[in-house]
This record gives sequence, structure tokens and C-alpha cells, in this order.
Amino acid sequence: MSRWRVWFENLLELIVLVLMVALAIEVLLGVTYRKLGMSLSWYDEIASVTLAWLTYYGAALAALRGAHIGVPEIVRLMPRPWRVATVYVSEGFVFAFMILLAWTGIDVLDVLATDTLVSLPTVPVSYTQSVIPIGAVLFIIAEALHFPQQLAEARAGALSVTTTGDP
Amino acid sequence: MNILFILVGLLALILINVPIAIALAIVAVLAMLATDGIGALPDLPLVMFSGATNFPLLAIPLFILAGAIMNSSGISRRLIAFASALLGFIRGGLAMVVIGASMFFAEISGSAVADVAAIGSIMIPAMTRNGYPKPFAAAVNSSAASLAIIIPPSIPMILYGAMSNSSVVQLFVAGIVPGILGGLAMMALAYWFAVRHDYPVAEQFQLKRLWSTFKDAALAFLLPIIILGGIFGGLVTATEGAGLAVIAAMGIGFLYRELNWRHLKRVIIEGGIQTAVVMVLVASSALLGTYLTEAQLPQELARTISGWTENRYAVLALLNIFFLIIGFFLHSAAAIILVIPVVMPLVQAVGIDPVHFGLIVTLNLAIGQQTPPVASVLITACSIAKANVWEVTRVNVYFIIVLLLVLVLVTYVPVVPMGLVHFFYR
Repeated sequence: MSRWRVWFENLLELIVLVLMVALAIEVLLGVTYRKLGMSLSWYDEIASVTLAWLTYYGAALAALRGAHIGVPEIVRLMPRPWRVATVYVSEGFVFAFMILLAWTGIDVLDVLATDTLVSLPTVPVSYTQSVIPIGAVLFIIAEALHFPQQLAEARAGALSVTTTGDP
Repeated sequence: MNILFILVGLLALILINVPIAIALAIVAVLAMLATDGIGALPDLPLVMFSGATNFPLLAIPLFILAGAIMNSSGISRRLIAFASALLGFIRGGLAMVVIGASMFFAEISGSAVADVAAIGSIMIPAMTRNGYPKPFAAAVNSSAASLAIIIPPSIPMILYGAMSNSSVVQLFVAGIVPGILGGLAMMALAYWFAVRHDYPVAEQFQLKRLWSTFKDAALAFLLPIIILGGIFGGLVTATEGAGLAVIAAMGIGFLYRELNWRHLKRVIIEGGIQTAVVMVLVASSALLGTYLTEAQLPQELARTISGWTENRYAVLALLNIFFLIIGFFLHSAAAIILVIPVVMPLVQAVGIDPVHFGLIVTLNLAIGQQTPPVASVLITACSIAKANVWEVTRVNVYFIIVLLLVLVLVTYVPVVPMGLVHFFYR
């Protein structure tokens, strides 16, 4: 299990690293070309799509590390059996939502099959939008890999508060 | 009925520790299903995608990236050396070094957590080695770091600007005077502590050392001039300014020849995660926002409260209390994303300037970063100092009072945040 987790984490880290660097390069290219009076027509749209991709691949990595913003204080105050039961219930909500997102995300790709990006007509919208079902599936895997740790923390009464995401 | 269901459902999910982004999305989906039936489901992936493509928010990962590069290139160390040569001769000087360096770092990073990680990891051990009590060292580092979200650039201000359709540049300008006032007041408080508890003098003042540390950090001093000068001068937008910050930080990192690539890779990934955590919240709030707009909840709230009073100062007092309470339980990004779309119609109905209100919100959230149980900056400082959160809080209360006084000043003397905005932009 831990070997798979390390492999999965390395993969997500690589994707997030590439997307962060790509985003910086896109903005820098956009600014440079605009200042040279040769604005890139695709800059706004592609940079926005890259941000959305970073959001969902990064969200899966955040789920693997238990870094999404939550409020564990009340659960932490509960007696042990309640804490454990609450973790199962809250995880149930997370899995149910992500399964729904993956399912509707795949469904919508068919509807968007003939649409293309405005600035780059050769790129289908279904390609950029695919991050939603892919991201949802990655999130489910990440959450499943993180679940044993969360359960152990609930049993020990040590559910942690994340500082990630707070500027 | 649906509104009550949304509020109760959201609260219940948050209290059982469902991540707030997912709790928002779940109640939004249920409300959409209740209103429009199963035919509304295709909107779910479409809005979750479009909600994450908010162009102005591109500045967030870029400022995080710039901060990460600066943190990996020896800039923090040089800033601290200069501040130490400048202020270290005063009693309690190391505390002032922390505040001065944090204020300067704030002009580059826009994140209080990044600020406390960069400055605190060097200064907390240095202060404890020099005889300062751990709780004081952690408290001063923690509170000074929160100036990072008041002094421009500021990630919460970028978020607020996007959620309220306000000018990010004007928000940045409005933060200058309150940020400087907060920093100076904290320095005065640190001096009072030092005299009262006989904290040591770190070093003798030497002009030669001041000059050599200044030369050493000179390139770093160019960074805020490039970033803020470009943005305030209208040469670049806030997003482009963030891109410029990345280039400038990279260039200075190369010139200093201190870039630690392994550290840089790790902080870029951390920055990506931080961006994702905030952006998923933004996307989920877009989903709920679609429903709230249909249901006219924010407008209803504005009508109800402005029915009680139309006095803007009374409304500001109510909103301040509300944000201070929220700050105990929510991270600043989550608080902005959850609350701003709901209260903005009220703010506009009673005639409060959205930029002025943005500063008030930011200051409230800076205080929220210091008030446990949910106090990200305080907790980061405590984990660096290996100090107990409640022991640190007992000292930190004094610094929180300073921030509260600045909040009162900003709220009821609008010229403090808005003077420069009116002078330059209106």
C-alpha cells in the first residue's frame, strides 16, 4: 500500500510542478508579447485552463496529504466511537460527491464533443474539460489512500488542522 | 425553506469535518436538484470547471511561486542581517528585526504563512538563543507575519477583489498606511516588553556593518520597487506584476548564486497545493453562487439588515464582530469565499466603499490568523518554536490588541486606508 502511495504521490507532485512552471511561463510570455505590441490571442484562455488543471490535480495531491480546509475541532471533542463513526460519515459524503462529479464529468464530455476553444480552434473543449472526471477519480484514489491515516488520527483523538490554503 | 436547508446543511457538513469546499458543493448540488430537478446535474462539472478559471486569481500561484523562489535564494537571510544591523542595538532589538524584516518580506510575498515560515525559521531560534522566552519569540513572529496580508501585495486582497469585483490595485494601495501603522505599533509594543522584561541588546550599532549588509541586500530591496512600482504605476496588472515578481526573484536568485533547487522544487509543489486548496473553494462557491443568485439570498439579507439600520458605522460594527467570530473558526481564504458574496449587497446598500471594506475584512482575517483554535500563522510559529499554543497566545494577546486598534482606526477613520487611494486614483 505504502509503495503505491509513494508512487501516486510522486506522480501527482510531478504534474503539479509542471503545471506551476507552465503557468508562470505562460503569464510571462503573455506579458512580454503584450508589451511588445504583439498580444497572444490564446494567452488568457490557455492560462485560465492551466489554472483549472492545477486546481484539480493539486486538489488530488492535497487530498492525499489531508490538506483541504476543514473544521475538525468539534469531531475532536467527541468520544472515540463517535469520532470514528463521524469520520466514516464525512468520508462517505466526500466519496459520494466525487463519484457524482466523475460521472457527470464524463457525461458532459459527450455533450462538448464538437466544441473547441475560442482562441485555439484545433483544441477540443472536451480535452480541457477532461480534468474534471480525471481529477475526481484521482481525488477518490487519493482520499482512499489517506483514509487509513485519518481513521488512525480519529481513533487517537488527534485529527489535525491544516495550515495549507491559508495565505 | 431552501435557504434554511442550505445553511443548516452546510453547517452540519462543516461541523463533521467534511472539507469546506466539498460541503459547499454538496449543498449546492442538493439545492439545484431540489429546484431544477435532475436536469441541473450537467451544470455541476461545467461550473466546477469554469469556477476554477477565474483569470485574476492567476496572481495567487504566481505570488506563491515568487515567494518560494525568494525563500530559496538567501533573500530572507540578507534582509534579516540588514534589519539586525539597523535595529539590533535597541533593547529588544531582535523583536524589532523580526517586525522590520516581516514588513519588508510582506512587500514581496503576500502570504502570512510564507512570511512566518521564512522569517520565523531563522529568527525564532536566534531569539531563544539570545535569551528571549519562546512564547514571546513565537508571538512576535506570528503577529508580525500577519502584516503580510495587509501590506501589498496580498493574496487575501486578490481573492477579495475577485469575489467583490473591486480593484485589486486600489486594495493594495489602501493597505500601505494601515500596514505601516500596524508595524510601527508592534515595534513600540515590543520595546515596551523589552524594557519591562529586560530583554537583551543584540549588537552594537556600526555604520560599517550597516553599509555592508545594505550592499549585500541591495538587490532584494529592488524587488518591491519592481513589483509594486510596476503595479501602482499602471505598467502591469496585478497578475502581470506577480509574473514580474517571479522573473525578478529568479534573476536575483541567480545573481546571489544561492538558489537551493531541492528546496525550490518542494516549495513550488507546496505552492501548487495551496493554490489548489483555495481554487477548489472558489470553484465550489461558484456552484453555490449560481443557486444563491437565483434565490436572491444576499439581497434578502441586505434588505433585512438595512431595515434595522442604515447607519454604515453600525453595519460596520456588526460586520466586524461577525468577521472576528468567523476568524476563530475559518481560514482567511475560506472566510472570504464563503462570506463576501453574501454580504456585498449589504455593504453596497449602506454606501460603504468596497475597497475600504476590503481592508476591514483583511484586517479582521489577519487577527483571525492569530486566534485559536483555527490560527494558521500562530500554529506555524508555535511549531517552529516548539511552544504551546495557549502559552504563546497569552503573550500574543497584546499584539492582537494592536491589530484590533488598527482595525478600529481603519474602520472609523476611512482616510487612513483610503487617503492614498483618493490621492492616486479618484
